[in-house]
Amino acid sequence: MPVMNMIQALNSALDVKLSQDPDVLIFGEDVGYFGGVFRVTEGLQKKHGLKRCFDTPISEGGIIATAIGMGAYGLRPVAEIQFADYILPAFDQLISEAARLRYRSGGEFWAPITVRAPYGGGIFGGQTHSQSPEALFAHVTGLKTVIPSNPHDAKGLLIASIESDDPVIFLEPKRLYNGPFHGRPDEAAKTWAGDPSAEVPEGHYTVPLGKAAVVREGTEATVLAYGTMVHVAKAGIADSGVDAELIDLRSIVPLDIDTIVESVAKTGRCVILHEASRYAGFGGELSALVQERCFWALRSPIRRVTGWDTPYPHAFEWDYFPGPARLAEALRGVVEEN
Amino acid sequence: MTANRLDLYIPEPDARPGDQPRFGDLHLCGPGEVRRPDTRTDEAEMRDLPYGLIRVLDDQGNAVGRWAPSIATDVLRKGLRAMMVTRATDDRLFRAHRQGKTSFYMKSSGEEAIGAAQSLALAPGDMCFPTYRMLAWLIARDYPLAHFTNQIFSNEKDPLKGRQLPILMSARDYGFYSLSGNLGSRYGHAVGWAMASAYRHDHRIAIAHVGEGTTAEGNFHEALTFASTYRAPCIMCVTNNQWAISTFSGMAAGNVETFATKGIAYGIPGLRVDGNDFLAVWSATRWAAERARANLGPTLIELFTYRAAGHSTSDDPNRYRPAHEAEAWPLGDPVERLKQHLITLGEWDEDRHAALTDEVAEQVRSAVKEAEAIGTLGQSKPPVDEMFEDVFAQPDWRVIEQRQELER
Amino acid sequence: MGAYHFRLPDIGEGVAEAEIAAWHVKVGDAVAEDQTLVDVMTDKATVDMTSPVEGVVTAIHGDPGQMVPVGSVLVELEVEGRGNVTERTAAPAPAPVSVFERPARHEADDAPEAPAVRAPLAAPATRRRAQEAGIALETVTGTGPGGRILRQDVEAHIASAGKGQAVSGRSPKAAVHDERITGLRRKIAERMEQAARIPQITYVEEVDVTELEALRQDMNAHREESEPRLSLLPFLIRALVRVLPEFPRMNAHFDAEAAMLRRFEGAHVGIATQTGNGLMVPVIRHAEARDLDDCARELARLAQAARDGTVSRGELSGSTITITSLGALGGIATTPMLNPPEVAIIGPNRIVDRPAIQGGLLSVRKVMNISSSFDHRIIDGQDAALFIQRLKRLLEHPALIFMDRET
Repeated sequence: MPVMNMIQALNSALDVKLSQDPDVLIFGEDVGYFGGVFRVTEGLQKKHGLKRCFDTPISEGGIIATAIGMGAYGLRPVAEIQFADYILPAFDQLISEAARLRYRSGGEFWAPITVRAPYGGGIFGGQTHSQSPEALFAHVTGLKTVIPSNPHDAKGLLIASIESDDPVIFLEPKRLYNGPFHGRPDEAAKTWAGDPSAEVPEGHYTVPLGKAAVVREGTEATVLAYGTMVHVAKAGIADSGVDAELIDLRSIVPLDIDTIVESVAKTGRCVILHEASRYAGFGGELSALVQERCFWALRSPIRRVTGWDTPYPHAFEWDYFPGPARLAEALRGVVEEN
Repeated sequence: MTANRLDLYIPEPDARPGDQPRFGDLHLCGPGEVRRPDTRTDEAEMRDLPYGLIRVLDDQGNAVGRWAPSIATDVLRKGLRAMMVTRATDDRLFRAHRQGKTSFYMKSSGEEAIGAAQSLALAPGDMCFPTYRMLAWLIARDYPLAHFTNQIFSNEKDPLKGRQLPILMSARDYGFYSLSGNLGSRYGHAVGWAMASAYRHDHRIAIAHVGEGTTAEGNFHEALTFASTYRAPCIMCVTNNQWAISTFSGMAAGNVETFATKGIAYGIPGLRVDGNDFLAVWSATRWAAERARANLGPTLIELFTYRAAGHSTSDDPNRYRPAHEAEAWPLGDPVERLKQHLITLGEWDEDRHAALTDEVAEQVRSAVKEAEAIGTLGQSKPPVDEMFEDVFAQPDWRVIEQRQELER
Repeated sequence: MGAYHFRLPDIGEGVAEAEIAAWHVKVGDAVAEDQTLVDVMTDKATVDMTSPVEGVVTAIHGDPGQMVPVGSVLVELEVEGRGNVTERTAAPAPAPVSVFERPARHEADDAPEAPAVRAPLAAPATRRRAQEAGIALETVTGTGPGGRILRQDVEAHIASAGKGQAVSGRSPKAAVHDERITGLRRKIAERMEQAARIPQITYVEEVDVTELEALRQDMNAHREESEPRLSLLPFLIRALVRVLPEFPRMNAHFDAEAAMLRRFEGAHVGIATQTGNGLMVPVIRHAEARDLDDCARELARLAQAARDGTVSRGELSGSTITITSLGALGGIATTPMLNPPEVAIIGPNRIVDRPAIQGGLLSVRKVMNISSSFDHRIIDGQDAALFIQRLKRLLEHPALIFMDRET
């Protein structure tokens, strides 16, 4: 089976859908001839033609509005926002329009759009190229929010997103584009080569939205993570000596609540790991859900290991970034608390 | 030596309550005065048009000049009737609000020619991305008045299933895109929809509307940028009805330039049209549609009109503008002007008009009765299950659980 | 002064552990040499462990029912001289900062004193365990950081079988208490079970119900249409729930395999009822919270439901003690069979007129026997007798049933 990094896997997903479905077209800033600043759309315009993969004005609101109109017409557009940090000018389009169109029109119109955006930190991108805004989308009912953690999932989830009849925010952890990252910046960077999840089938397959992956089974605590933090969690669990179960949520809307509840009911402890800042982050929702559904099984308070409630700070990237040491400390803490 | 001190400028309208209505700087043209270039003309050759005002009907009801269209008289009568039904419906449902039968209503009084003429000028498959003053589009396409009233009453038969504020309609089969309360947010959808139609080698085009106040929104400029860049087959309209709630058009720089000139920087041909002139609206819309269908790209049309009623049932315009400003509007009333045209043509007379007025009143009365029989706001509503439908294509566990939680 | 650690010695032929049966000292007690500290029990015997030294108890380890390994420290004492602890035990680790307690701030910070009384601190899973075991967390000593009650604290509390609370008032009581059957009782139980599947003891006593019957008939004679007719059973139920708090082991379930006696504060009285479908035992739930009429109504409703076949599964389960009455066929005496896992069953027999000598005069009294059976693994004969005697007193002087407080 071919080995792909996440960029190649995403490119393959787009290639498969462009080949398969004439209603799919791709656009965004720099995605056409150039192939995207992270190269995800490389070669697609040349292979599929100018009208299938093209550049747009630098206008996030315009990109999303155009995509919604195309979706309402009956196409399945895939729009790229160059960095998730830049998605905010399109917020009204995503919230007031994409997420609400089906509902408010009584089912007459809907927007089956996929909005891809490189996201997250760990690349010294500073405040405006590092943020993790997933909670903003998760709060908006009517939007789906997907965050892959490896090449295999990335391709399968992207195809599933494009095929979804609902609008999907597809956040691509850019620190994972070229290799897994365990949150140890001092170590030499790894590539995806040799990682089983980098074995990516050439053709069409999907990873369903709303189905979490149990990455590691364990008995003493449950770690909930997604995106880059799945890899940080692997390292943190190993460091902690705690027999923790690691769940990669893969999509936060829809959320695989059953897998979460089953795990916490078993372990009695829950640590939530995300890169986004803590207050009102998605970890707050996860914590509330676990509390509501697993309260009597809890043996210790639910803990959140997250970025701090500051803007993403350039020079302090590794102070901000919730690395394996912080997760390990939290895991040991919840186990000791009994 | 006196220093040149800076001074902040805040624009103000010509007249406020207590003043005589004043429309001194309107830059009007005479009927038939504006030239009508061929639709294939390069935009750079037409930059006089945004400064003109396309008018077809003169004060006697004659159609004059190059923009005078040839419209079958039964289409004209259909347009007249649609405008009259719209006005009667507005009056009836505005009163219904004061009777507690609905929570909200917005009239399109004075602007009926826009919806009616464009609805009849465009093809059935075309898609309108309207403002909330486009009821005449639906009426002209024979949207059942009782269905519309059910939406206003949010009753069990509300076509939008009780989910949407009254007047924010959606009617896909009538080429009427889902309305939203956010200003200008669908302007770019029209562009995307038109691009999709072009991508599919379809023949259908889009027409989009914002008010003049909304030209200040980013949405407006984003949409024009995309429309221009991709030569989208769409007609981009700015309904300049002079007032955005209490904000006069000068607050959107309307006292500096016409809104039609906004197209110049985008290389989009701009037309400025008498919005109370059914024939001028029809003609300009046809011109723009012809360009769009010929892959010549978008046209920006400023529809110059006057909002004769308040913004909504929540608004009292006498608080911020002269009481009789509407009557003083120099471009008259669209219903009266089309009626006069038909009479001039010998296709209409006062007796038939009086009979039609009665007929329309009865049609509206009967439709509203039909809706009232189902129920008005609070008396009747769709099944509460509808609250949880269409959030997603397939409900997720939250929606399912919460529906059960509500029903417990 | 020195520290002396008394370790569990090897008291048998190579036993590895023993069960603590009873403590005879507590922290702070001054003990003399040879004074009994604790009773422990092995497979073979119960042994009282006495103090090898004179001193003051500073700590005790292990709760009754807990198995402790040979060689582990049972008692810590402070003694004259050097004691037997050569190394000073490590200084207690600084208490970890509890999430419930703010760490001390600056010295100048005049933080108000924490309130003296606060809710017990415990994780939800621990709370659930305590709730299931019928233990009020307020009664459990927490050994975790900041006094937090740990799971093992609850387990230890269960093992130590805190005393049952007195029942007062008529509010329903949800609490149940798991009492580990320890020590000799456990051994007895095991032996008794070997002897017979469920070893029972039956006890029969004669009760003079003349006053009770007079009261009952008078009440029935003055009843409104809407008020239920009173049989003897509601009086018996009320008397029973009055007595049960004094005999908490009577109102219980015994799980021999787990060596666990689950005592209930709520009295769910099963009523063995003969129906066309055979014997059924519908349950009057929370009889302790029902007044006489309530009991009578519920009896009538359940009896009807049982005969109609409309009685629900829930109404046929969960009894904690049972009354079996054959009414007019009550006979002189019966040997009621237990309704497992309950440990007591009461069977009133037929009421008969009997001659009796009172104040030197012959009189006719209404007399009824009560036949009762008890799980002999849990209930000794004397306890059975005391229980029935107590019941007899209430039934013979029915005013006592209804008095808030007996004198």
